[in-house]
Amino acid sequence: MPIQGDAVDDAGPFDRAQALSAFKLGDVIFYWITRLSAISVLLILGGIIISLVVGAWPAAKAFGLPFLWSQRWAPAADPPVLGALSPIYGTLVTSFIAMLIAIPVGLGIAIFLTELCPQWLRRPIGIAVELLAGIPSIIYGMWGFFVLGPFLAHTFQPFMIETFGSVPVLGAVFAGPPSYLSLFNASLILAIMVLPFITAISVDVFRTVPPVLKEAAYGLGCTTWEVVRSVVIPYTRVGVIGGVMLALGRALGETMAVTFIIGNSFRISTSIFAPGTTISAAIASEFAESDGLHQSALILLGLLLFVLTFFVLAAARLMLLRLEKKMGT
Amino acid sequence: MTDLSVPLSSIAGHPGSAVLPEAPAKVTARNLNFYYGEHHALKNINLTLGANRVTAFIGPSGCGKSTLLRIFNRMYDLYPGQRATGQLTLDQTDILDPRLDLNLLRARVGMVFQKPTPFPMTIYENIAFGIRLYENLSKPEMDDRVEKALRGGALWNEVKDKLNASGLSLSGGQQQRLCIARTVAVRPEVILFDEPCSALDPISTAKVEELIQELSENYTIAIVTHNMQQAARVSDKTAFMYLGELIEFDDTSKIFTSPSDRRTQDYITGRFG
Repeated sequence: MPIQGDAVDDAGPFDRAQALSAFKLGDVIFYWITRLSAISVLLILGGIIISLVVGAWPAAKAFGLPFLWSQRWAPAADPPVLGALSPIYGTLVTSFIAMLIAIPVGLGIAIFLTELCPQWLRRPIGIAVELLAGIPSIIYGMWGFFVLGPFLAHTFQPFMIETFGSVPVLGAVFAGPPSYLSLFNASLILAIMVLPFITAISVDVFRTVPPVLKEAAYGLGCTTWEVVRSVVIPYTRVGVIGGVMLALGRALGETMAVTFIIGNSFRISTSIFAPGTTISAAIASEFAESDGLHQSALILLGLLLFVLTFFVLAAARLMLLRLEKKMGT
Repeated sequence: MTDLSVPLSSIAGHPGSAVLPEAPAKVTARNLNFYYGEHHALKNINLTLGANRVTAFIGPSGCGKSTLLRIFNRMYDLYPGQRATGQLTLDQTDILDPRLDLNLLRARVGMVFQKPTPFPMTIYENIAFGIRLYENLSKPEMDDRVEKALRGGALWNEVKDKLNASGLSLSGGQQQRLCIARTVAVRPEVILFDEPCSALDPISTAKVEELIQELSENYTIAIVTHNMQQAARVSDKTAFMYLGELIEFDDTSKIFTSPSDRRTQDYITGRFG
């Protein structure tokens, strides 16, 4: 070591601070680039909220809170009579049915892929799920309009109407006549669209379960179902719920495919086989030819969707917190 | 559910108890081979685990100790491409029978792993979970069984006031004893320990070793360990394995004082490993 020390002394005093100061500028620049990137998110979000509020203000002033629960939507009347109940109802119902279908199927695919699937089948199914996520929503819309809609109207809907038509509550839910364009059709398409989100995220988080933890459960004599239910899903619940929420967010806001197949009817029907509308579908189909109060009302609808999504995410957070408490910490 | 007690006439004809006169054979392996795909990991293993005895498996890393342990409860079955040939019996049951009900086998042959593996649930549920798989107990009965199991795992005094806390909130040593209690709660016949102390501090290790000694009164125990002192302390019989072969299998006192094979001697004196 003394030899090296001599070498340094020969070269004159070695100024560590000087050498480091060259890096300091880079560090400062790096700090500010990352900080500005982070801040820009807040600015964009704030800007969107402000412009939505400004645009929605005239309608909010004209209709007030009853906008939320009045159903009539007559933009051509003078003055226009506009209520948001129908799109809000349609948004909630289609998303609810979509999640009802997509969560069990999506989790089922994920469980099969990670726990049960023979190696050779894993890739084909995995790739198919990924491709499903890559299909543009307009394609789903067309497929729903030309293929799924007619199919449902000719086979599934008449069957359900016939079977449950005379049952008290279900009769109202599955009431006729069959229709190509319906809430149910839109829900099905939504379910297919959000399925890949649930599956892909669930597969990823299921893979994070330590093999030894699963072995421990198998070692007690658990069946695969018991291992999945009692170990895999509890271990990964945060990730799974995150995936479900991401899917729900997409279902609530999905526009193009839904606009194609929901029928854009502002009449609320108890039947899920009747046409309806959603917030995003109403905006998409009317925004181009709207003006004045009508346009402002559509922007107010957009703001409502924003708030709705926010509340859904907040509810998910709360649910997670309560789950954590229940599991013990 | 299939009947576990499939008789295997070929084994019943010459019981392995001849090898171990002092304890009846609980688990008997005859010409047992194991393959990871093409790799021949275990070669012609012949040994018996005596009932209510502690059998230790020692040997350098990769010698196949853990692999052997994972055959006893067919854990390897979870992974494609792994297979065992030869004969392996638990009492009269053919462990390698492809029609065997694995859930029942694993209820009879419990396993404790290298790392503590508490399930993501409360301490109480960690124990009750395994019991519930096989028995339908009322709440007081279950409370009783959970307490017994936790006492059996020498953990009761430390956790009795926080049974509803998460199993993950315990220290490493406590978690490992929770896992032992969980295994015992199912009332197995054989307990396999796969390096149970390698992730624990010395005090926890001492507790677990003491526990293993106590458990041997009621259970047949197999323990894989890298710690030769541990093998010497807890076991009645010791098996030395090397490169997938069983080199020497004898009384622990004999293995550690006058081993008959040169390689065993080299290993226990620290010349390799």
